[in-house]
Amino acid sequence: MLQTLQVERRVDPHLSIDRYDPEAELLLLHMGPQHPATHGVFRMDLYLDGEIVVKAVPYVGYLHRSVEKLCEKLTYSQVTPIVDKNDYVSPMTNEQAINMAFEKLLGIEVPRRARWMRLVFAELQRIASHLLWLGTFAMDLGGALGGGSTVFIHSFREREMIMDLFEEISGARFHYNTHTIGGNRHDIPAGWAGRVKQALDVIEARIGEYEAMSLHNRIFVQRTRGVGVIDAGLALELGLTGPMLRACGVDHDLRRDAPFHAYDEVPVNVAVAHGGDCLARAEVRFAELRESVRLVRVTVDSIPEGSINGGKPIKLPNSIKIPPGQTYVGIETPRGELGTYVIADGSANPYRLKIRPPSLHALSALPYMLPGGTVSDALAILGSVDPIMGEADR
Amino acid sequence: MKHFVDGLHALAMTLRNGFRKPTTVEFPDVIRPRAERYRTTFSLLYDEQGDQLCIGCLQCERICPSEVIAIKAAGKKESPVTGKKRGYADDFVLDLAACIYCELCVQVCPVDAIVMTREPETPTFSREDLVLTMERLYANGKNRQRAWSDGTKLMAMQEAGRAAPPPKAAHHAKAAEPAKTAAVEKAPAAEKAPEAAKANEPAKAPEPPAAPATTAPTGTEAKP
Repeated sequence: MLQTLQVERRVDPHLSIDRYDPEAELLLLHMGPQHPATHGVFRMDLYLDGEIVVKAVPYVGYLHRSVEKLCEKLTYSQVTPIVDKNDYVSPMTNEQAINMAFEKLLGIEVPRRARWMRLVFAELQRIASHLLWLGTFAMDLGGALGGGSTVFIHSFREREMIMDLFEEISGARFHYNTHTIGGNRHDIPAGWAGRVKQALDVIEARIGEYEAMSLHNRIFVQRTRGVGVIDAGLALELGLTGPMLRACGVDHDLRRDAPFHAYDEVPVNVAVAHGGDCLARAEVRFAELRESVRLVRVTVDSIPEGSINGGKPIKLPNSIKIPPGQTYVGIETPRGELGTYVIADGSANPYRLKIRPPSLHALSALPYMLPGGTVSDALAILGSVDPIMGEADR
Repeated sequence: MKHFVDGLHALAMTLRNGFRKPTTVEFPDVIRPRAERYRTTFSLLYDEQGDQLCIGCLQCERICPSEVIAIKAAGKKESPVTGKKRGYADDFVLDLAACIYCELCVQVCPVDAIVMTREPETPTFSREDLVLTMERLYANGKNRQRAWSDGTKLMAMQEAGRAAPPPKAAHHAKAAEPAKTAAVEKAPAAEKAPEAAKANEPAKAPEPPAAPATTAPTGTEAKP
């Protein structure tokens, strides 16, 4: 639950650098957009005093594809495969968020089987997404164990297993387009639950290895403890959600606090850490990995029988028209609250569609976290934020 | 001392991984087993008599979110095989370079003419080869293994469990437990429906009546 916290006014680091020594000769370092550690095309200007960052200005927008405007031109049936590409590390949750908003406006009740399937997909996707974060974060730290890209390659190996599982559902390895307005497009094939549990057995065993390589690794802990500290008040002020917020000690998770899918039937243990630094964020994500494995294990066997689609299957592009109205739906993705705000005007296209990406809000914390650290800390902090520029820029 | 133990742990892990089987394969020589529903490029199909299936109804062109399909509809023509009058496509071009593989064109096709193929070898030596003309699409249909899905199967999968239950099924599926047993009893009945049974290979095929939340409020959808 969200507790009210005293929010203190602080200096906006964007405004000026006057509070630092104006006589000092600061070095302006353009980091990105081609830098491999910036997770795509993200650029920040670092003002350096020696090796210490005194001011950081992030710039987003290099991956802007005007997805929101494009969605206004497309019909409701065509939007799902487009928003797949927003958060290109967890496409399943993108599809779910947009379709849940349309379903809410239409008043369609999603069948119970479809809701449980969505829960399983979302949790599997969370595992895959956190595995990718772990790999890239370890790369940002220069390879936590043994140097190079050990953790990166290892975590991608397990992520591949989850992509294989999704491939069995929809036939695509990544941009699945398996959700539709009112439910799902593809049913679960025979024996899928058994293969999921086989994969989970392997992944659960390997999570221990990753912890040994990272959380229990002296170098990893030294690089992350006390780095990029952000306090709960500032986190709430900036609108951080997901692991970024929970690492600050705020116990907030939409899966439990505003249940969607079938989370009202399955209790979720929310992981909270109290450091607010990079290590705390890593701990939260590791706990979520284990929790997601547990959730999938609990749910995958008990997916109820029944229909998978409560609406009309797509047969014509203009067949779905949403009566005038507006709504907001927020769901918990691996990165936090992914919100979708839709205004419908009665036609077959959305009048306005706004996506609230958790990564963009997480990036807005960088100017507060970076000053005071070194350049190598800047990379560790950026990796711990886990930004996906596809959804930040849209 | 602590450092020494840490180092030993790291060495042990390195050794353990050294003796693991490799997870990668040499791609062109070894092709990993593909999932049953795996889908890559496209093909157009002929029917049993060798007549083109596509009727030029433009549904796939209209649904395509990235507008990569361009069809010239021929209008009604006499079929060269059966002699009956029906619609044909004069020209059918699919630009694979801009395709996002969303499978919506396959789903909307009313005659299952356009399907995807299962073969992973889509890379080409030039961009022009990615523009699938009508000849290429029909050649794909003959030479390449087709993917699992087509319009009928996808629709049957989504319709399953909704079309069958009359109001009385919903009425007696109030509580979750009785509904489950009802689903088990009705299982053989579902097998009789040919399309639904074929499309739902899963052992736990979605049963027609069952689950409490199956009644769809179709009234809320505005008619086009």
